[in-house]
Amino acid sequence: MTASFQEDKFGLVRAAIDAAELVRLVREGQDGAIVTFDGFVRNESHGRETSYLEYEAYESMALGKMKEIAAQIHEKFAIHRVAIVHRLGRLEIGETSVFIAVSAPHRGAAFDACRFAIDTLKRTVPIWKKEFFADGAVWADGELPPTPPSAKSAS
Amino acid sequence: MASVVPSMRVKVLFFGRLRELTGLAEEAGDLPEGTTLAQVFERYAERYPKLAGFRNSMVVSRNQEFAAWDTRVAAGDEIAFLPPVSGG
Repeated sequence: MTASFQEDKFGLVRAAIDAAELVRLVREGQDGAIVTFDGFVRNESHGRETSYLEYEAYESMALGKMKEIAAQIHEKFAIHRVAIVHRLGRLEIGETSVFIAVSAPHRGAAFDACRFAIDTLKRTVPIWKKEFFADGAVWADGELPPTPPSAKSAS
Repeated sequence: MASVVPSMRVKVLFFGRLRELTGLAEEAGDLPEGTTLAQVFERYAERYPKLAGFRNSMVVSRNQEFAAWDTRVAAGDEIAFLPPVSGG
């Protein structure tokens, strides 16, 4: 598989994500399939009606972790190119918070890589979501990223 | 005469609920050489007692990489205290 890591796209943005543009970006003649993941703001959380969400990130680290995900999926799956963009700031119901597009010669790799990318993003990329309701706000539960073993045992 | 432990300057960041709890997004601090990430956290937990309860439901990073709590800090490091992540 041609290594095209340099042509992958990562981003943290504060305006609406242009999904069509990301799909165009990963699509080339050698590809036969693109699988996309569109994550958007749901109107409820644990049975409570959501008003809106706010996302924040440790931006430098988040971009680094998104690049690691891309490197991992190039390694694991026969894909061509990937675009991963997450939006930050205030998002209204129905607005896209994260969009991933993966192109590949064949659909299997594109499906597998896209699934791996969103699952890994949700576990390892330092982004946080606060949920606002009519009567208050809470930080979403989230997942603890895996951490390296103790420095003593590592060296 | 006891020798003085040299100090080093680091940057410390807080995110999400930890930032809200401390009211602190970022600060520069001087630490004695040899300080571990766990000891950096303990210093902040003394200053902000409510932080202590989050010790087992957070992770720490050093220079944009997740790190073990017993990692020693070096001058110029960027340390961040991170609640469970919830992007997507």
